[in-house]
Amino acid sequence: MKVLVPVKRVIDYNVKVRVKTDGSGVDLANVKMSMNPFDEIAVEEAIRLKEAGTVSEIVAVSIGVKQAQETLRTALAMGADRAILIVAADDVHTDIEPLAVAKLLKAVIDAEDPGLVIAGKQAIDNDMNATGQMLAALTGWAQATFASELKVEGEHALVTREVDGGLQTIKVKMPAIVTVDLRLNEPRYASLPNIMKAKKKPLEEKTPADYGVDVTPRLEVLKTSEPPARAAGVKVGSVDELITKLKDEAGVL
Amino acid sequence: MPHDGQTLPEILLPDLLALTRQALSPVEAALDAATEILRQRTAPGGRIDAAALEADQHAAHALAWLATYVESLRQMQGWAERLNTEGTFGELEALLHQIAFGEYLSQIIGGISMSQGEVARLSDIGIAPALDDPAITTLRLGANTSAARMRLVELMRDNGGRATFGATGLDQELEMIRDQFRRYADERVAPDAHGWHLRDELIPMEIITELSDMGVFGLTIPEEFGGLGMSKAAMAVVSEELSRGYIGVGSLGTRSEIAAELILCGGTADQKAEWLPRIASGEVLPTAVFTEPNTGSDLGALRTRAVRDGDDWSITGNKTWITHAARANVMTVLARTEPETTDYRGLSLFLAEKTPGDCAHPFPNEGISGGEIEVLGYRGMKEYELGFDGFTVPDANLLGGATGQGFKQLMQTFESARIQTAARAIGVAQNALEVAMQYAEDRKQFGKPLIAFPRVSGKLAMMAVEIMVARQLTYFSAREKDADRRCDLEAGMAKLLGARVAWAAADNGLQIHGGNGFALEYQISRILCDARILNIFEGAAEIQAQVIARRLIDIASGRGN
Repeated sequence: MKVLVPVKRVIDYNVKVRVKTDGSGVDLANVKMSMNPFDEIAVEEAIRLKEAGTVSEIVAVSIGVKQAQETLRTALAMGADRAILIVAADDVHTDIEPLAVAKLLKAVIDAEDPGLVIAGKQAIDNDMNATGQMLAALTGWAQATFASELKVEGEHALVTREVDGGLQTIKVKMPAIVTVDLRLNEPRYASLPNIMKAKKKPLEEKTPADYGVDVTPRLEVLKTSEPPARAAGVKVGSVDELITKLKDEAGVL
Repeated sequence: MPHDGQTLPEILLPDLLALTRQALSPVEAALDAATEILRQRTAPGGRIDAAALEADQHAAHALAWLATYVESLRQMQGWAERLNTEGTFGELEALLHQIAFGEYLSQIIGGISMSQGEVARLSDIGIAPALDDPAITTLRLGANTSAARMRLVELMRDNGGRATFGATGLDQELEMIRDQFRRYADERVAPDAHGWHLRDELIPMEIITELSDMGVFGLTIPEEFGGLGMSKAAMAVVSEELSRGYIGVGSLGTRSEIAAELILCGGTADQKAEWLPRIASGEVLPTAVFTEPNTGSDLGALRTRAVRDGDDWSITGNKTWITHAARANVMTVLARTEPETTDYRGLSLFLAEKTPGDCAHPFPNEGISGGEIEVLGYRGMKEYELGFDGFTVPDANLLGGATGQGFKQLMQTFESARIQTAARAIGVAQNALEVAMQYAEDRKQFGKPLIAFPRVSGKLAMMAVEIMVARQLTYFSAREKDADRRCDLEAGMAKLLGARVAWAAADNGLQIHGGNGFALEYQISRILCDARILNIFEGAAEIQAQVIARRLIDIASGRGN
């Protein structure tokens, strides 16, 4: 079985995010970019399935700027077999919207015919949490979101989902779209031999036009703002004063 | 604040790259003049006169430091120009470059600190070049200003999650390697390093297994012998990142690297086939057994003897400063095989197999006894003194299958060992900088964080500048080694400078911590202890300067090869 793993190049999780002065978005000029952490978990899960003999080939796909090939090289160094880069933007600040990404992934699925798609549940840059679900709708495949455990049994995938208040285990017929959550696994470090091998693995470059998909944005970002700075606290003179303030001002008692 | 109508001076000097390029030739000319003077004094007949060189030792070492500074500036210029072509020479990089030139040019003219209290001056060598080129004057007066340092630290505080302060100029693959090992060190090494140090423990075997899975032990060993055949540049990046986590972990790879190089350069076909794959996989952990109680830098005088006994050799003598000795599976032992000799010519190397010991029985083999040497820092592998009393090694394990080759075989590994040690120094220095910078952000005095005070941020700025200089010198040596060009001179310079930079970073980093830095609880106390070894092992700073000076004089005498 072939597995498709979409990976997104996002602002590194260690970076202190700063909003552009004109409020049009987050400033990405000159900051470290990395693979979306949920996508790393997806790549890791695909590799584990391959190591277990369930999967025969892992294809990583990224949609975005040309530099996303670095992200794909990381996926290849972790253990993906080949990669497809769809160059859909020139400027790192141009975010391709989930629907356009889902349409492109649908086109890749039509060409590649995978048995399973493992994707991150969301990208940490815009937190949309939509691409996997939209892709399931476009393909008509089963979807299993927020996976914290994944098992493949014959024609079916057994997915434990993290839901409010507990865990839910569902069985979906494959081909299916699985989106993964934080606790599914701990992604490996790419070893030196695998970094060497990654150089020789194929990385194919495409454009949205190759797939006949229009990536023009449909959403308009009105404003991006930083969270308000925390206001200074006050010192209270006594326990009584604290209780009064909690009652009257904070309204929590 | 400026008065009305006054404008603040621009921090970055105009036409910086042209200016720094112009400043290079006069200092290169001064270096040539200095070398020529010392050549005349110490090698008048074409061959170095050892007594004359010793009498002129301070001047000769001043020459070595001068050459190191000139090479540093040349490498910074090359780095800056390459980044500029690629379009990645940003403000932070420009400030590093500018401050490096301003500071190093000033020191070349005013005196280079060889150690605290020992200054290398052009007057010691006996030259007084004018060095009054307008570019040099502009850089001396306007490059390393307080404003430049403050601005640099402002940019460092907003470094966008990048691993280094300033682009390194390395390619994408090497940066991917850096990212992976940075993450590994942050997650698996750094959280425990201080505990290992304080409890004086061996680095857990688990870490060694993980390093082995990641390919660390076979990094530069050729593929035909089970290694990865990667570049020395890759080795430098890995050493740097692991040492940033903990010097002990960064040094585990060094040990295998050097043992492998020894076998690769000096071993027989059988020895290569037998040992290299096992070293590459991490199955065999080597230890270097060279130093003796009475022979350190003067290795040629060593006294441990190996005597032929049928098909075997029997080794007898005392060795010391044997790192990771208890846990190692193979020792590379340097011993005298020709008893009538008294110098390096009678020495041979043996690949002596041993059984790894545990804490209760560190040396289970017959004919070896040993005791631990307690140390300030560079723990994690432990140091031992060893006594050999008729320890048997089969003749097949005589390196290269011939006696009398030991010293030459060992010398062939010096270039790699020095590049790697320079890289370890950079890692330790980077760690000191990051730890000190975090403390300076968190600690508030007089109503603001320490980093807001110019004397604190000035220290951090100089650490970042010198780390980049040491880096560029190290990467240059690695590139030379990869291109198969002789680079003992450059590698020695990288090691010499790197060790001083690491010590300065650790010492200033501790100073930023104030009294807390003196508490064992704080990481910087360990970093200080770890940094101290860098100026001593793999060629003490004085020996390093001596070797550099000799080589410079030899080249000037037309005896470069």
